[in-house]
Order: sequence, then C-alpha cells, then structure tokens
Amino acid sequence: MRIIGDTNFPFLSYRRIAITISILVIVAGLAYEFLGHGLNLGIDFVGGTQITVKFREQPDLADLRAAIAGLDLGSPLIQRFDEPEKHEIMIRVENPSGVEGDFTTPILELLHAKFNSAIGNRFDLNTKGSLALVDMLAAADPDGVGGDMEGRSAYYEPMAEAVLDFRKQQGIFTSLDQLDAITGLSDPVRAYLQKTAAVGDFALLGADSVGPAVGKDLQRKAQLAIIFSILGMLVYIWIRFQLPYGIGAVVALFHDVLITLTALAVTQREFNLPTVAALLTLVGYSVNDTVVVFDRVRENLRLQRGEDLEKVMDASINQTLSRTIITSGTTLLVVISLFIFGGDVINTFAFVLLVGIIVGTYSSVFIASPVALAMNGLLVKRRERRRAAGKR
Amino acid sequence: VDKKTLWRIALIVVVVGLSLWSLYPPKEKIHYGLDLSGGIHLVLQVQTDDAIKAELDDSAQRLVSRARDEGVELTQGVSNIKELSFTVNVPAATDTVKLREIADNWVPGYTAQPGAGVWTFELPPNMDRTVRDMAVRSSLETIWNRVDQFGVAEPVIQRQGMDSDRILVQLPGVDDPARVKDLISSTAFLEFQEVVGGPLPDRQSLLTAIGGSVPSDSEIVPGDREGIDGAVIGTDFYLLKKAAIISGQELRSARRSQDQYGQPVVNFATQPHAADKFGQYTGSHIGTRMAIVLDHRVISAPVIESRIPGEGRITGNFTIEEAEDLALKLRAGALPATITYLEERTVGPSLGRDSVVRGVRAAVAGLLVVMLFMLVYYKMSGLNANVALILNIVILLGAMAYFGATLTLPGIAGVILTIGMAVDANVLIFERIREELQVGKTVRAAIDTGFARAFGTILDANLTTLIAALFLFNFGTGPVKGFAVTLSIGILASVFTAVFVSRTLYMIALAGRERVESLSI
Repeated sequence: MRIIGDTNFPFLSYRRIAITISILVIVAGLAYEFLGHGLNLGIDFVGGTQITVKFREQPDLADLRAAIAGLDLGSPLIQRFDEPEKHEIMIRVENPSGVEGDFTTPILELLHAKFNSAIGNRFDLNTKGSLALVDMLAAADPDGVGGDMEGRSAYYEPMAEAVLDFRKQQGIFTSLDQLDAITGLSDPVRAYLQKTAAVGDFALLGADSVGPAVGKDLQRKAQLAIIFSILGMLVYIWIRFQLPYGIGAVVALFHDVLITLTALAVTQREFNLPTVAALLTLVGYSVNDTVVVFDRVRENLRLQRGEDLEKVMDASINQTLSRTIITSGTTLLVVISLFIFGGDVINTFAFVLLVGIIVGTYSSVFIASPVALAMNGLLVKRRERRRAAGKR
Repeated sequence: VDKKTLWRIALIVVVVGLSLWSLYPPKEKIHYGLDLSGGIHLVLQVQTDDAIKAELDDSAQRLVSRARDEGVELTQGVSNIKELSFTVNVPAATDTVKLREIADNWVPGYTAQPGAGVWTFELPPNMDRTVRDMAVRSSLETIWNRVDQFGVAEPVIQRQGMDSDRILVQLPGVDDPARVKDLISSTAFLEFQEVVGGPLPDRQSLLTAIGGSVPSDSEIVPGDREGIDGAVIGTDFYLLKKAAIISGQELRSARRSQDQYGQPVVNFATQPHAADKFGQYTGSHIGTRMAIVLDHRVISAPVIESRIPGEGRITGNFTIEEAEDLALKLRAGALPATITYLEERTVGPSLGRDSVVRGVRAAVAGLLVVMLFMLVYYKMSGLNANVALILNIVILLGAMAYFGATLTLPGIAGVILTIGMAVDANVLIFERIREELQVGKTVRAAIDTGFARAFGTILDANLTTLIAALFLFNFGTGPVKGFAVTLSIGILASVFTAVFVSRTLYMIALAGRERVESLSI
C-alpha cells in the first residue's frame, strides 16, 4: 500500500508565502502573549498553592469560593477538575508575596471546618491514614485480641490496609455502608467502624505548593534547559552538516516553539513543568524531522555535484515526503491517544505535542530548507565577494 | 540459516531474555514515582538563623553564669543575629582583666569589644558556617529518625547540595500527608518549667497580676484551656521561669500509654543524671504547678503531687495520634532550628492509581493503532516492524527495571511517545528499501542498501532527540527527570530493535531461499 507515490512538488517555490504566513502567525502570537492574557503560568513558576479534592457530592462552587476568600490568600481560582460526575474540584491560590510556608494545611483545615462539622471527633475515613486507623483499632480492640499494643497493632494492620485500599480504588468513601464491600474486615471491626467512624465530605487527591524561591529556581532552570538544548542542536547540526543547515534547523525550532507557545496562550492552558518537558521533546522531534531531510540533501549533493541547491532540496523533500508523513502520522496517532485517554493531568502535555508535531512537520518542509538555502546563498555570495576582492 | 544470523539471533535472545528477567515480576521491579504511587515530596529550609541565635544565647548565658561563680556580676544583654554578636551589661566597678580571663575560658574564640557599660562579643569568623552546617546536619538526622520510626518504605531524605540549607524529603505511599508533615516539621522542643504566675485568660491581666513587667528570668507562655469535658475552650497565659527543670534532650525514652480514665498520655523516663535533678526539684516543690511546654506552648501544667523520680507521664488533651506522635518526636529528638516549607507536592493514592490506569489505556490504544497501521501499510515487513516494536518496549521496561529508574506520569507519556517514534526508524528503512526496489535492485541488494543508507539518517535523527533528553534530565526534577530517562532509554532501545532486530528478521525470512523474487513491503 502507498499513500504517496512519487511526488515532485516544487516546495521551495512556495517559500515566500509559507514564511510570510509563519511570520504573521508568530507576530500575532507574540502580540497576543504580551498584550493579551499571556501564558497561563502554573504555580511551578509563579509560586502558589493548588489543591485537588474529591467530594462525595457536587459541592456548591459559590459557597466554596466564599469560604476560600475568607483565607485572605490572593485571587483564588476554583474550578472543576476532570469529568463533572467525579465531583473533583481544583482550588488554586497565590501565596502571599515573598512568604515561604505551608499554605496547604490552612486550606484543608478550612474545608474540614466547612464541610465536616457534623462529624465532630469521629474518625474520618476519608482523610485519615492507615497508621491512624491501626492506632485507633488497637486502642479500642473490637476483636478482643488482648496483649500489648504492638501485638494488637500487628493484628489490626491488614484490616486498616484493606480499608485504605478501598479508598485508594474508589477515591472516596461515599457512605459507611461501603464498609460491607470490604473483605478482610472481621465483623466486630466492621460494626465498630460503622458505629464510631464517619465519612467526611471530601478526600484529598493532591496538593502542590511552591514557594517563591523554588518558583524562581524552576523558572530559571526551564529557560536554561530550553536555550541550551536549542544551542546543542545548532552545534550538532553545524558539525554534522554545515552552518547554514544548523541555522535553518534552529530557525525552524524557534518557529515551532513560538507557535506552540501561542497555542498555549490562546487556549490558556497551564504552563508548568510537564509543559516544559513537552516543549523540549518537541525540540528533539522537530530537529529529528529536519535532519532526515538534510541528510537526504547531503546524499543527493554528493551524487549530483554542481546541481542547483534549490532543485536538490526540492527533490530531497519529495523523496522523504512519504516518510515524513508516515512518521508524523504514527506519532500523531499515539499522541492523540494520549490526549484522549491520558486524563487531565497529562492532557496539556499531549496538547503541546499535538500542536508541535503538526507545526514541526510543516516547518521541516517549509521553513528549515528555505532558510538553509538562503543562508547558503549568503555564504556563497560572501565567499565570491572575498575572492573578487582578493583578485583585485 | 547461516552462522552470522545465528549469532545475531543469540544476541537478541540474550538481550530480550535479560530484559524479561530483570523485569519479572513487573509489580515489584518497576518503581513508580511519587506521582503514580502517591506520596509526598517536600523541600524544606532549615532556618539556620535559629541555630545562630541559640549559639549566641547559650554563650551569653554561659558567660554570665560562670562570671557569677567567680564573683563577677553581669547581666545578659541582647543577641544580634545579623552582626553575629551578643552583649552583656558590665557594671562600672567590674574587674575587666578578670572578665577577659573568664571570657577567654568560657566563650573561647569570641572577640570581646569593651564599651561603656556594655561589652560586645563577636562570634569567631568560621563558627558562623560551622553552626549553620551543624544545624542542617542534625535536622537531617532528626528527620531521618522520625521518618524511620513512622515506618515509611524507601524514603528519600537528603540535603540539596553540599552547602545548602535545604532538605529534600520524598516519602512514597504516604496516605495521611497532614500527619506526616506535622511530624517532620514540628520542632518538638520540650521543656519542663516552673510556673510562677497564672494561668490567666489574657496576657494583660497576667501582666497586671505580676506588677506590670515580666522579670528578666521569666517569660509569658500561652497554652490551651480545657473545659470539663476536655475540649479546648480558650487560651490561658502562664508566667514561667525561663530556666528549664529538664528538657526533652534529657529524656531516655517516651511511649504512648493511657491513664486510668483511658485518656492517651505519654510515659517518659529520664536519663540518669536528669533523674536526680528532676527528683530533687519535684520533691521540694510538692503542691506547686509545673508546666510541660512543647514548642513554646504549655500543653499541660499539672500540680506536683509527690516526688517524681526518673519516670513520669505527660498529660494533655491528646488524641491517640497526638500522643503517639509526641512520643515519637521525643524519642527522635528535637530539631535544632525551625523549618519552613519551600515546596510541597502531595499526590493522593487514588489520583496516582487513576493516572496509571489511564496511562496504560492510552499506551495500549496508541500501540494497537500504530501496529495496525504498520501491518496494513507494509504487510509482512510491517509485521517485522511490529515484532521489533514489541521487543523495543520489553527492552525499555527491562532496562528501566535494571537501572532502578522510576516510572512517572510523564514517563508513561515517554513510553507512549517512544512507540510513535520507534517505528520512525523502521519507516525510514522501509521507504528506502522501496526506493531501491523501484530502481530495479534485487530484494537482497535493496535490503542491504536500504539498511545501510537509512542507518546514518537514523543515527542523526535519534542523536538530536537524545541531546534534548539530556538537557531535560539535567534541569528536570522528579517526574520530568523520569520522563527524560524513559525517553533516552527508549531511543537507544529503538535503534537496536529497528536496525539490528529488523535486519535479523529479514535474514531469517530470506534464509535458505536461493532466489528471492519479491518482498512483502
């Protein structure tokens, strides 16, 4: 089977149009980033606290907002996380500027006071851990094991683990009746828990808190990583090919990164550490694509010395076109699968790659080669001028 | 099949065999990162200024008390952390020669600067770093002790860099983050102090009761007021003697227990030398109150009913957990300085589980689609590529297990991405073989040139991705680092499978056939 047969598109003759379009998109993107909302920088870089909790029932968001506002932490953002029927809420607040500290605990305490006041002193199966449960059971000793605390703790430990495993799988206990579904509990323990324990309204899924010092650190590291990896690419291609090709590849890289950043700004997706990882992967991928074309150009130049570079480039792009499309296609297939099935946490990561691969494929055809061609032209002209000057 | 092919097969079997062996059983061999197993990642800063202040205060106290022993009356002035100095008030009639002698003996290294009525003592220049370094080291040790007793599997507790005052703590599988956080960061500085005034419900009335000012040897410390049922109903203020009767460091053991009413308490035993001190004090102060102060807050102030020898009990309005944790902290020792959080990442166990399920689902879906495509597009050669792809994943996971690399959520994405990019090498080769066939080469020649020509390109293309992964590894933390590792191993494995394994598969397929007319590609 074949998708593309032998093609002979004059790709390079479209270079003016392609470059003009790209420049327009990039300029519009930069304008949007600087004048509009800009990138939605996550707490990894600006500092702040982000908490994800799962509720038993859908909580009233306005209520929650009012409660969080009482904490006096800058501009809280509260939104649904994942699918609505999961009752998952993300709360994000800025930390007070310049202050380091634990900002997770006060938010959780506030949620506890707001939603779990009915529980009182009873043991909350949704927030307490297995060790606490072991301690509680060992102290109460519903099975009447007797002996010292250590022996009792060892006896009750598997039961506590079973209860926590259930929470691990379900995310949250919605009612005490669910204890019936847990095998491995003795009847007295189950009865004891049903009598004395309680299920709170929420369970903690995750919490991230980044102070200003670490935020600045991470920001600097991310910038350095991106800059150095692009420089690394330039040097590698410079050595393996020639300077004009290195410049062509790097210009294509900047092109891909800038357009992907624009897509991130327009969709207001969160820019965080995994996003940087995705951007760096994109850098690797984009150059990968370009190198395949350049490799072919080099090979063809060896075979047909003296041939016009533009014609060689066009031929090379055409020869590698089916590979370019198939590879982009298979990679896109898996990235789409990641985008659809990967869940909220990985979604932005997949989005960056999705945009990046499409743009990267375009740029390796329409940007990298034309720039390399132009650079080569400049180099040749300079050499001729020097030679002319030398003769005189 | 000729000898050369056999050797190649043997090598592949060994590599794949080793991978499977190091991978089995996968549940134990593949380490999940914090983001998949659930757990807590903390970056803590040790406030080393606290340690400096303690050093200055201690030195000042030592100087004043030793001087008094030798008949020189001084009073303690102030400690200045910025200038690394403390002052003592020196009355005009003091024998300055003798004072210098005492200072040389008891606060050695400090440079004394006499002034009008006030002498300033500066910390020896290299002591600054030593004190801070010691504070971080002993904090590290204390946190280790606490985590160790709490029973967390495979904890990571280390200093971030040689000279830094930051400590990285990673505790996988923790299901009660709030408790662990409290356990790690609370100073757990325990002292038994003499109550000289109070308790009264507010600071002002306590001040009035003691005549308007706090004596220099005493301090006001708040504490919880309990109602009849034991619930906290407000705050009380106590006036306490600054000098402790004994401190937490002088305890030998501490254990959670229950009193006669079933209320959780902490039983303790003191070290021998402290037992005498404690016994003497309690014996001569029967009927007075003694405050038990934890981190500058009174947790209870019982009336001494009899002489307490080396063992006693701490009561307070504890829950079982609180009593357990307090006993644990007392056993593990106090932190020499307060600790602040710079970074905290908690992943609940259910979120991590959810991520694994979804990641695997995405990987399987992606893998199936790609394999189907390769099969349809390249027919038997596609099958060849698919075998290589499966082996690629086996080798990737095996290598990760072997090197003890952790699988993180972005790492799963890395595996998935590898699937997409691994077939790239095969695509490059197959397209090249098709071209060679088109210009009329024989099947064997086309395969030979196809592999040879494509190899340079594959090398170049994969090296660029490897460079990016290297920088990612260098800058990345936690999950991102995991991604870089997965991606790098995946790239190396894919070059091996796509070039070496695929080639061998062709060799096997074409072996023993004299003339090969066509290739299914």
